[in-house]
Amino acid sequence: MSATQGETPRLEVRGLSKRYGPVLANDDISLAVAPAELHCLLGENGAGKSTLSACIYGLAVSDMGEILVDGQRLDLRSPADAIAAGIGMVHQHFVLVPRFTVLENIVVGTGSGLRLDLAAARGRITDLCARLHLDIDLDRRVDSLSVGEMQWVEIVKSLYLGARLLILDEPTAVLTPQESERLFALIAELKGSGIAIILITHKMNEVMRSDRVSVLRKGRLVATLTTADTTRDALTELMVGRSVATIEARHIAASQGASLSVRGLTLSAPRGSLIQAIDLDVAPGEILGIAGVAGNGQDELLETIAGIRAPRAGTITLRGEPMSSLGAAEVAGRGVGHVPSDRFRDGLARDFTIAENLILGQQWLRRWRKGPLLDRAAMAANGQDAIARYAIATTGPEQPSGRLSGGNAQKVIIAREFAKAQHLLLLNQPTRGVDVGAIEFIHAEVLAKRDQGCAVILVSEELDDLFALSDRIIVMFRNEVMGEVRRGAFDKTAIGRLMAGARAA
Amino acid sequence: MLADLFQTTVIVSLLAATVRIATPLLLAAIGELVAERSGVYNMGLEGTMLMGALTAYLAADASGSLWVGVFAALTTGALMSLLFAFLVITLQVEQIVTGLAMNLLGSGLSVYWLRAAFKGQSQIPATPIFDNVPIPFLSELPVIGPVLFDQKALTYLALLSVPAVWWFLYRTRPGLDLRCAGENPRALDIKGLSIAARQYGAVVFGGAMAALGGAFLTVASASRFAPEMTNGRGWLAIVIVIAGMWRPVPILVATLVFSFLDALQLQIQGIGIAIPYQLMLALPYVVAILALAVRRRHAGAPAMLGVSYRRE
Amino acid sequence: MRMLEHLGWRVVRADASPARTAVWVSASLLLAVLLSALLFEAAGASPAAAFAALLKGAFGSWRTASETLVAATPLIFTGLATAVAFRARIWNIGAEGQVFAGAMFAYWCQHGLAGFSPAIQLPVIVLGGLAGGGLYAGLAAILKTRFNVDEVISTVMLNYIIVYALSLLLLQGPWSEPGAFFEQSAKMDPGSLLPLLSGGSRLHAGFLLAVAAAAVVQVIMTRTPVGYEIRAAGSNLRALKVQGTSPARVILMVMMISGALAGLAGVAQVYGVHYRLKAGALTGYGYTGIIVAILGQLKPWGVVAAAIVFGALVTGATFMQVKTGVPSALIYAVEAILLLCYLAGWAAARFRLKRVAHAG
Repeated sequence: MSATQGETPRLEVRGLSKRYGPVLANDDISLAVAPAELHCLLGENGAGKSTLSACIYGLAVSDMGEILVDGQRLDLRSPADAIAAGIGMVHQHFVLVPRFTVLENIVVGTGSGLRLDLAAARGRITDLCARLHLDIDLDRRVDSLSVGEMQWVEIVKSLYLGARLLILDEPTAVLTPQESERLFALIAELKGSGIAIILITHKMNEVMRSDRVSVLRKGRLVATLTTADTTRDALTELMVGRSVATIEARHIAASQGASLSVRGLTLSAPRGSLIQAIDLDVAPGEILGIAGVAGNGQDELLETIAGIRAPRAGTITLRGEPMSSLGAAEVAGRGVGHVPSDRFRDGLARDFTIAENLILGQQWLRRWRKGPLLDRAAMAANGQDAIARYAIATTGPEQPSGRLSGGNAQKVIIAREFAKAQHLLLLNQPTRGVDVGAIEFIHAEVLAKRDQGCAVILVSEELDDLFALSDRIIVMFRNEVMGEVRRGAFDKTAIGRLMAGARAA
Repeated sequence: MLADLFQTTVIVSLLAATVRIATPLLLAAIGELVAERSGVYNMGLEGTMLMGALTAYLAADASGSLWVGVFAALTTGALMSLLFAFLVITLQVEQIVTGLAMNLLGSGLSVYWLRAAFKGQSQIPATPIFDNVPIPFLSELPVIGPVLFDQKALTYLALLSVPAVWWFLYRTRPGLDLRCAGENPRALDIKGLSIAARQYGAVVFGGAMAALGGAFLTVASASRFAPEMTNGRGWLAIVIVIAGMWRPVPILVATLVFSFLDALQLQIQGIGIAIPYQLMLALPYVVAILALAVRRRHAGAPAMLGVSYRRE
Repeated sequence: MRMLEHLGWRVVRADASPARTAVWVSASLLLAVLLSALLFEAAGASPAAAFAALLKGAFGSWRTASETLVAATPLIFTGLATAVAFRARIWNIGAEGQVFAGAMFAYWCQHGLAGFSPAIQLPVIVLGGLAGGGLYAGLAAILKTRFNVDEVISTVMLNYIIVYALSLLLLQGPWSEPGAFFEQSAKMDPGSLLPLLSGGSRLHAGFLLAVAAAAVVQVIMTRTPVGYEIRAAGSNLRALKVQGTSPARVILMVMMISGALAGLAGVAQVYGVHYRLKAGALTGYGYTGIIVAILGQLKPWGVVAAAIVFGALVTGATFMQVKTGVPSALIYAVEAILLLCYLAGWAAARFRLKRVAHAG
């Protein structure tokens, strides 16, 4: 199944380079993908995977190099050119219109003329789905589909446009392990009909199912290997450029009694409940992991504990004191820090300086005031401290936050929230989209916080992170807790089943 | 005197006036609907309508032909919205601010142009206005005939634009693409299609319709231009689009409600019922606020309305 | 755009340096002047003569210069009002109506106090103006936070409504001047008038109040927790909410500050210039204030500068009309052209054409 057997590769990339400002995102990359091959692109965040796929799909124009499909050199200036050449792409964040039906989503932007011939399109799409054994109701609105089904729509959308090469960008990031299995079955069907697939991922177990794998690091192609001839450890080392020390989460015996205690917590929305009768306890110095596919109530649970949302029923007590009726500022005043999942949406004001962002929500505290005015000197000193303590890469506390990289922006939020968290730390996907160095740093900080006796709740989609840090893991599905697993009994299959909605026995 | 209001002839003339008064609002609202469905919030309707009213009047006065006036208004509306489109789509200037700027331009330029055109004259000339075009047979029907089928050509055009735009949005391929631009422009972008082209088209159509609505005020009704004569109709059209949940038929209904209030006000003044006229004139604006407050959620708003698309 | 790409160019969006922005904005303002010159031509006047008349009419003598400051006074207030709201990205288009509300509430508080000393009446009209504008804007804030009514729409509707309300009160209502035909109140009590600053000109204490307001707004915006919240709301209201600061409170606060500033414009016009409550004394300042705020870059001293330029336009235009026959209404068109060109120039600075060395 390698492309060196003399047959014409489906896709060939020769010497592709792409520069964004000072960053060489792709540096002289060459690779080939054969028809019916499953080819993995492996690399960390920022290694150049997205840039490469954007160039192949015509979303970005490369500075140098050539792209060939079935031996034909392409002049890619827009996705339209890529689609015409038989290239399809499923983006990590789906590009669907929630209020359109499945059929409309597939048909929109295709064809020509005034006429909208939905009947003909329906026939073709039904045939396509039948061949792939996909069961989708074409007349359902997309906002009523499950995430897995939305992904099928995305794949069918590409095939409807005649894709012979399909790029899948982090397709399993939003899927349960079971849905991921279903996806790999679908990929096998696609391969069976001769379609070549490029799978962008950083999950090692998925990489091992590919035919070949290309490893990217800092914009360069490090190696292309036949998967069967390599190992996970070898690939990891190629990807990171050094061997990664796995963090040993020194497990200390949690002291007796709960620091945080939640009982029957329920949050309602106009359409149904957002979280349903949740009970949980976290002891001082304990890390409670919450596993689950994003969107199953984790955000709402943390936001309710943090006082951002008012629960409809249930109680929250921290160190014996009730706080379910407090607002976010008062909860913070009780020694609670909260790192939200979407840092630029919920965590930072981009137009503010770092020093200003570090006191967000605390603008009325005596600490930051001199009479009726803000105490700029105190704010600047606080900013200096945070920059030094958390190694934030910037020139000073008066720098605007909008220009920070994802990892450094996260460090600003962590500096603010960790300073508040005397007793409870709520972490929602703290390492998503952050580079490896920063991940290690953040992990170490979380453990330090725990060692100080702070109770920690960690929400993550990455089971590896949860396994590394948590003392216990609970699993959420459709706004409820499905079950709990203690350290020592962590098991991906079991947790995966809970994530897909099976209850703990 | 109140009983006078319930006589058949009075009711018929009230309803006929409602449909007539609805014309400029409906034209502007249907045009704005198309622009907003493509994702662009054009708040410059008021200024565009004013300029349409003025240019229709000036062109009709200069040429002696009312249709030349209509054509002039359409051209003016298209040009003004082209400028608006360039600013908000190509240069990605904040849509609300740009819309306001267009209103100020329309308001300032129309007054200046009027004064400059008739410098030194104490009174500006009146143009003729369009006659009613009764539709054979249908206009003879009782009640419905005079209400619906004895109106001006522009009124028929406004009424017909409702099914026409409905058909375009929901039953044609470009209509589907246009709605997609307002809901999730990226879905077009990743197929290599131009979002700007669709939005320019929608905005220019919307501007031409608003100017046509403005033209109705001069060449089909007042026979003269007066400064600020649109008197908030452009803003009411925007309210109507929201109250009509961005759908053609509910927009027609909302338009008729607002114009009925206006017609009623004229009728009441006509028969001399002693309600202070200021209360009647303020009523549409109060109703507009209430209509939006009762509805609460922006049900039906295009998801990406007012957000300039930028490829990340 | 597509055509450009086929020629090997691509439009790129990037942050603009202050220098680059300055160049583009200057160029666009020059364009605005050229377009205005075209309008002079269209009216049959020589642009050079018209501009000269405009300048002379605005700054030719102490009397005209002081008139410029008189005309600038309400615009400083409405410009500040708009700037505060827009900094929070709250689109208060209602300064126009809030000017009316300020004047009306001040009059309501004051007109029973005729004969009292200025030491009592002046604080009453200033506080009345602040309260009237603030409350009327607060209504739009409540409509937004409690009933989800877009503030752009509600403030515009409120602008229309209050004009009719004033008309009702002045024509048949309790405020009409007994026996008079015009829609206006009786002349104000002498003790309520804003003191004149110098003999031989109409420049009144309202101008000093406006400059003081700019200084206060400057301090509030940059140095206080309130300003911090206003700027935070403009950057990311959601992040502020996550931190426990109530968006509803911030929106109400911003609107009330904004409306209160606009209300003072009404007080300045009624008690400083016209000495009567009437629509003609109050119309147009709110909308022009939006232009003033944007051209002043939403900064207090920028607003003061832009307001003086616009005050000069108003004052000079009358002289220009007499001198050259160009209708003074021209300046409203010129103001809008200035705004549009400024917006275009500011935005265009963020785009650049980039050569794409194309592979493919």
